[in-house]
Amino acid sequence: MATGPEEEKPPLFPTWRYWYALVIAWLVLLIVLFYLFTKTYS
Amino acid sequence: MSSLDWVVLIATLTIIILYGIWKSRGKQSMESYFLGNQSMPWYIVLLSIIGTQASAITFISAPGQAYTDGMRFVQYYFGLPLAMVVLCITFVPIFHKLKVYTAYEFLEKRFDLKTRTLTASLFLIQRGLSTGISICAPSIILSSLLGWNLYWTNMIMGGLLIIYTVAGGTRAVAYTQTLQLAIIFGGMFLAGWMVVHLLPADIGFKQALQVSGKMEKLNVIVTKFDWNDKYNIWSGLIGGFFLALSYFGTDQSQVGRYLTAKSVKESRMGLLMNGLVKVPMQFLILLIGAMVFVFYLYFRAPIFFNEAQLARVRNTAQGPALAQLESQYGQLATQKQQQVKQLAAALEQDDAAAAATAKKVLKQTDEQAQAVRAEALSLMKKADPAADTNDTNYIFLHFVVNNLPKGLVGLLIAIIFLAAWGSIAAALNSLASTTVIDIYQRLYNGNATPEHYLRVSRLWSLIWGVFCIVVAQFASGLGSLIEVVNVLGSWFYGVTLGIFMVAFYLKRLGGTATFWGAIAAEAVVLAMYGTEQVSFLWLNAIGCVLVVVFALMIQPFVKQKATTV
Repeated sequence: MATGPEEEKPPLFPTWRYWYALVIAWLVLLIVLFYLFTKTYS
Repeated sequence: MSSLDWVVLIATLTIIILYGIWKSRGKQSMESYFLGNQSMPWYIVLLSIIGTQASAITFISAPGQAYTDGMRFVQYYFGLPLAMVVLCITFVPIFHKLKVYTAYEFLEKRFDLKTRTLTASLFLIQRGLSTGISICAPSIILSSLLGWNLYWTNMIMGGLLIIYTVAGGTRAVAYTQTLQLAIIFGGMFLAGWMVVHLLPADIGFKQALQVSGKMEKLNVIVTKFDWNDKYNIWSGLIGGFFLALSYFGTDQSQVGRYLTAKSVKESRMGLLMNGLVKVPMQFLILLIGAMVFVFYLYFRAPIFFNEAQLARVRNTAQGPALAQLESQYGQLATQKQQQVKQLAAALEQDDAAAAATAKKVLKQTDEQAQAVRAEALSLMKKADPAADTNDTNYIFLHFVVNNLPKGLVGLLIAIIFLAAWGSIAAALNSLASTTVIDIYQRLYNGNATPEHYLRVSRLWSLIWGVFCIVVAQFASGLGSLIEVVNVLGSWFYGVTLGIFMVAFYLKRLGGTATFWGAIAAEAVVLAMYGTEQVSFLWLNAIGCVLVVVFALMIQPFVKQKATTV
């Protein structure tokens, strides 16, 4: 590897924390959408 | 299968093998063979991770699961995105920093040689046996549905991929997985579209969703907590998190995928993208199963989807009784066809009262049909006590073989092979890397030439391939193979995860305490399984906790200092 882990900037966001937050937020959004899906069609 | 199906099947499999061989060309070293020279971009890592996790059974079983139990199985994957985040923060930077070939190399740097060798050995036993069983599981289904010889199906299922896996190593595995997944997703999309297309002309996707929902097949989220219920949001988030963490963090078949990335950044992106796409992907596969359920409300379903099993019972003394039950089941299916049309019409007209009545009537008839089916299953057991009366894995392929047009059947059967190849190829590569790096090079021959190690690596890929096929040939009599794989995993996954948890989070604990803690934990886990005190699903968590507890208890009696990496 050319660079150490701490030096590598993630794509799109300034730090990796934003990516982690995005993954968790996406999971929460999916759960909410699935919940609405379940309620709508039950 | 028609001639066209055979052409599509053979052409698809040949293309994959040739593509794998083509990607194997060029000069190789052990680093390129096991790590792909750490040159892979994140999207190849992502597809390789997905291709390794998604076995043939994923595509066969998941739609059947939605057919029988609804879509709530998707909750099982809710812990996976969280595990991806933890892996990116903790595991990935350390594995890359230490430039390891296998996850178990890290354990020697953190602890000592004996802990590394123990963990690598546990992996080899578990992964070697479970890969053999993974070859056999889809082979049994295909041979039963299509009348193929089981031994030859096993040979093709586990044998042809050895050509490019032995020749090209991890690079060939990763690139073939990419092409395999493109074909798999294309085929599954076509299958999903065909299910809706084959419904009666006045039933569109929206109406199919409404009917499926009323029949409780779109139960994606279950919020009620119940210890005895495997699939609810809580077991999915908590249990799924630990399962995904142990699988992606400590199983070399997955660790080997993201170690091929050209940087920490690419590894992280591959894993995080997996966290983003995995849940929607499983949702869509399950949705196909929910649509197949609607299809079989409008068109008659067999009383049991494993037709070969059904035929065997017909030729026994229970045959006449079974014929009577099949007749009853058929009459109820005809009633359901009328009732589902009434339900769809009421839903179309937004007539809530009529829809509620139609739903109640349809559910009553469905319950009667299920009672008749239960009697038929009981007859099957009488006729053959060893018979597997779970037909979940046969539902989707039964639909495919009997309803899809020529050509598409061949493509869907090819998809089963490709899905199996993707996960088996990665498993063989990881078994070879662990054997060569953690056992052969470390314990027996550390000073050979790079050319020698490359030859040995190819030889071990071949040896493990043959071993897994041999296991597959003997696995058909083991009962539910999916359960056997899960039981095998539960014997070792928990202890392995426990060792890594101590390594990462309990820096004051040393190798000797962890090693003996793991040995004691493994003994307790196996004893608990033997005495049938708890369900095997709990052994993962118990094994992990026991390693930590035992290591903490032993550490004060050990003089060795803990090391940190």
